[in-house]
Amino acid sequence: SSSSSSNFDLRKYWTKLIREINQKLEEAIPVKYPAGIYEAMRYSVLAEGAKRAPPVMCVAACELFGGDRLAAFPTACALEMVHAASLIHDDLPCMDDDPVRRGKPSNHTVFGSDMAILAGDALFPLGFQHIVSLTPPHLVPRSTLLRLISEIARTVGSTGMAAGQYVDLEGGPFPISFAHEKKFGAMAECSAVCGGLVGGASDDELHSLRLYGRAVGMLYQVVDDLRDDKNKKKKSYAGTERAMEMAQELSVKAKKELQVFDKYGDTSVAPFYSFVDYAAHRHFLLHL
Amino acid sequence: ITKEDNLKSTFDFMSYILRKADSVNKALDSAVPLREPLKIHEAMRYSLLAGGKRVRPVLCIAACELVGGQESLAMPAACAVEMIHTMSLIHDDLPCMDNDDLRRGKPTNHKVFGEDVAVLAGDALLSFAFEHLASATSPEVSPTRVVRAVGELAKAIGTEGLVAGQVVDISSEGLDLNDVGLEHLEFIHLHKTAALLEASAVLGGIVGGGSDEEIERLRKFARCIGLLFQVVDDILDVTKSSQELGKTAGKDLIADKLTYPKIMGLEKSREFAEKLNREARDQLLGFDSDKVAPLLALANYIANRQN
Repeated sequence: SSSSSSNFDLRKYWTKLIREINQKLEEAIPVKYPAGIYEAMRYSVLAEGAKRAPPVMCVAACELFGGDRLAAFPTACALEMVHAASLIHDDLPCMDDDPVRRGKPSNHTVFGSDMAILAGDALFPLGFQHIVSLTPPHLVPRSTLLRLISEIARTVGSTGMAAGQYVDLEGGPFPISFAHEKKFGAMAECSAVCGGLVGGASDDELHSLRLYGRAVGMLYQVVDDLRDDKNKKKKSYAGTERAMEMAQELSVKAKKELQVFDKYGDTSVAPFYSFVDYAAHRHFLLHL
Repeated sequence: ITKEDNLKSTFDFMSYILRKADSVNKALDSAVPLREPLKIHEAMRYSLLAGGKRVRPVLCIAACELVGGQESLAMPAACAVEMIHTMSLIHDDLPCMDNDDLRRGKPTNHKVFGEDVAVLAGDALLSFAFEHLASATSPEVSPTRVVRAVGELAKAIGTEGLVAGQVVDISSEGLDLNDVGLEHLEFIHLHKTAALLEASAVLGGIVGGGSDEEIERLRKFARCIGLLFQVVDDILDVTKSSQELGKTAGKDLIADKLTYPKIMGLEKSREFAEKLNREARDQLLGFDSDKVAPLLALANYIANRQN
């Protein structure tokens, strides 16, 4: 497809969507008593420069199947909340010990480890609460909400992102790809699947979204590793050459999974192709 | 109800709670099997299966049975509340929080598995509680009711529940007793302790098919026994030894924490406990007398426990 002409529209699509998501997130966490914990939660969830990849993916997937954007927003916000919670806990001194996140002091650097743990502990349930209390009942059946809860809970849990973080920290008898897939592929996979669930995708379609999302999430991380290879403090998952091969494979894989959705028309699928291109090249989206 | 009836129901209650706790233990054991990565799941199981009193899950099941539901309808919800309780204990015990080495007479989770695994095991239990509630609850319970249960459980954990209580508790250490009143102490306990007991009873009422009015009565009942639980805990902390408690005694005094005995004295604290027990029992008036027995006994058990 002609990427330069479609990029313009897509950029508008993302910009508008991200603005809407930021607005919803802002409303989702008002400051109440005790103020300190709300401020800690807001600091990470509303951090400037957050790319909102999970919610954007979720909303796009919902719209792909003709779902109303309003049906997807609570789930989209929930994904951003649990994502923020995972990052807050991953940065802790007893974990990755990262004092900086997105160019700003990480949550525990500002609020202390105790508040950082509690902010994460509060964001996980807030996400679930957000889904069940704000998803419009006339747009999404209650049984679908339960599938969303299970999907998100499994993604962040002991066989998902927590497993990825553990293997990343402590190693063990796992192939290198395990941590990669669990830690980085899981969130994108979950976001795509949740959007599909809200939009009414069939089981086959959900399966394609799953494989697509996983590939895009891993692709994003492989490219990220390549980009800051120079000042890297952590172990590389693979040599540069192998990483570039992996990026190519993941890119092809992700686009292949999209073929079944081509029938929904260029405009609907375009965001998903652009996600792959963005993960691979990081071109237009960074300057919103 | 005479005092004799009370003693009788307390006696019956011991076999009731043992029987229920046994089913809960079996359900928890199979809900969290040992899987890869082994160490996280070992850490989850270490704290989850450490033989707590299972007050919350038993309350959940008893509430379900009170409104006419079968035990099996409440079991996933009962397991979920125990997972949340365990998760909050693991995180509260961490060095950057309360820094406890001993819990239920055993080394705390981070002492055995390290802080990183303790944080992850807590997070995993938190999310698994929701997965379990959402996916393992019997199809006999309507999705609308399960969704409502998910919302109640979520509310009990975050900034309107456990987390709010812990935040205010942490920030209260070393405060002058003249600067904080009962209201402040009650905020801590209503959130840190009562919120999850409330959720336990409410979840049981929801999945058991209770009416809105029944569910609200269960909520009030549980709030009362939640506060009661904490008043009794505070009293035990100043009157019992570490060995009797199975955890570090007098640690509230050492940590300079606010307690009921400190604010109102031991005698007034005991009277307050009595009042809460009465208020709790009032919520059960009008229910079938056979079916209220476990909850009445639970209130007495919490009021009279020695550790």
